[in-house]
Amino acid sequence: MSGRQRGSGMSNEVNRLLPRPLQVAVLVLLLAFVGGPVLYMVLASINSDLGVAAGEFWPRQLDPANYVRIWSTVDLGKGLVNSIVVAGATALACGLASVSTAYVLVRHAFLGRLTILRGLLALQSIPGTLMLLPVFVLFASLANILEITVIGTRWALFITYLTFALPFSTWIMVTYLRGLPRELDEAARVDGASSWRILTRVVVPLSWPGLVVACIFAFLLGWNDVLFASVLTNPDTRTAAVSLQVFGTSQEGGAIPLYGQLMAAALVCAVPVVALYLAFQRYLVGGLTAGGVK
Amino acid sequence: MTGTEVVRRSEQTDRRAPDKPSRRSITQRQRPLWMLAPGGVLVLVVIVIPLLLALWISLLDLDQYSIREWIHAPFLGVKNYVEAVTDSDLLHSVWLSVFYAVLVTVVTTPIGIVAALATQQAFRGRGLIRSVFLIPYVLPAFVVGTIWRIILQPDGVANRTLGHVGIHPGLWLNGPKSFWTLVLIQIWASWPLIYLLALSGLQAVDPQVHEAAALDGADWWSKLWHIIGPYLRGPVALAMVIAFLHNVNNFTLPFVLFGVPAPDDVEVLPVLTYVESFQNFRFGLSAAMAVCSLVLVAIPIIVYLRAVRLDTADDPDTRRREA
Repeated sequence: MSGRQRGSGMSNEVNRLLPRPLQVAVLVLLLAFVGGPVLYMVLASINSDLGVAAGEFWPRQLDPANYVRIWSTVDLGKGLVNSIVVAGATALACGLASVSTAYVLVRHAFLGRLTILRGLLALQSIPGTLMLLPVFVLFASLANILEITVIGTRWALFITYLTFALPFSTWIMVTYLRGLPRELDEAARVDGASSWRILTRVVVPLSWPGLVVACIFAFLLGWNDVLFASVLTNPDTRTAAVSLQVFGTSQEGGAIPLYGQLMAAALVCAVPVVALYLAFQRYLVGGLTAGGVK
Repeated sequence: MTGTEVVRRSEQTDRRAPDKPSRRSITQRQRPLWMLAPGGVLVLVVIVIPLLLALWISLLDLDQYSIREWIHAPFLGVKNYVEAVTDSDLLHSVWLSVFYAVLVTVVTTPIGIVAALATQQAFRGRGLIRSVFLIPYVLPAFVVGTIWRIILQPDGVANRTLGHVGIHPGLWLNGPKSFWTLVLIQIWASWPLIYLLALSGLQAVDPQVHEAAALDGADWWSKLWHIIGPYLRGPVALAMVIAFLHNVNNFTLPFVLFGVPAPDDVEVLPVLTYVESFQNFRFGLSAAMAVCSLVLVAIPIIVYLRAVRLDTADDPDTRRREA
């Protein structure tokens, strides 16, 4: 986005859409609207538990030790490890599966191709609450019939997240691969390369910016999910999202709610995600607008 | 990656599919359709089969006692649906969900458009402002819920700050105000989606259009309304459909904000379905409710599918634009 600064002062004024006072007012208002709660979150995370419970905006007494305590009170370490393992594995597998699926969809004609493309979009909007119960029942039945325990393991989350991430990641790869000149893989085909070889040696190296976006969105889906994780995990395999939610609920009605620590833990859960976004902002924004899914 | 081709999809068939007819003979022999298999199997096992299973369960009398042997659970026919409609909170929840989703979409749309208009032209610090604008949207919903849950505690920072100026709003997370709390926070968290899509619409405006408007001496309002407006109509309409779908399917935010069982005023459909399954263990009834929720999203999904262009493969124009 920063690459579009060839416009000098004059032509820049031509591009103006709002009168300057109005523009400034809009920007200030929105920054306050967004920044207020975010600033409060940061301040409260280093405030004492009592201070947060009493509704202080500016901490009267700083308590950065919140960031030390959360590792024992919230059980955040285990949650973060589970989240990283599950979401990370989902991201890798999803990247691999989405690039091969998208490659076939973009470069080859076959019956049912448009139906699959349509399905990619429609599947993103299926309510998770519709799928939760039957997925649960299916996994539970696997335990009965095949004597494999799925529920409570990381595998349950991995398989679920992988499947739900796949349609959107594949759609991202479809929009990306369309932009690649087809002459490259056609040249490789004329040289006698197999489809698998073309995929791994030509398509993947050329499409890694799209692939990174597809992987990151799969990662975020796993990292952000509460619905499936709240039912398919046990205390040992809980993700960070569920750990935080359980800890938050347990603070209600307690004598001294540990709100300072809760805020610190929330911030720790948010930082990897926000950092990922900011680092890859240029690519991710394109991905977001490609299907408009978080 | 401008994937949202908002041009209305012209009727296309497989005949116009990517490979030129002359090359077909080669490619048809080497179509690696097996590469679709991993994704296909996953979607079949984790989406298609469970969807059918949900339909089947919605016809059964399934509770925590019969769940182990769900294949032998008594068949009820449509009784669960009858109970869901006549003797449960379903209609109340459907109304809440639709009202909430529409309200949030309608309020976030002007905010997102105005934000896009204000950050379209380059100025110093614009990159930073754009990043900040994205923060509410990129924060995980469970984090957003946690933050606001603490802000809105009865003795929390919101009530204390408002108390200084003489306003005493009372309870946010319980009672009749909780619905508006949910709306407000979802507005806070979701407006950047509209902003992003509106911004991508503005970037499609040819620079010459700006110059022409300046030459004509158009004032800013008529420039916006008559010249820029038409560029925004498509992207914003699509953004509204997507925003509605997000809002109506949102489970995490109400779940984390209010906990379960939720107060009556915020028992939106996803939460109701969840509570019926995993708190009341009325699995059959819950499945019937979930199937009803599918009807709720069906219309927006169809609109969405018609708005997004599926096949741009042999349109050289769009192929170039990706780069």
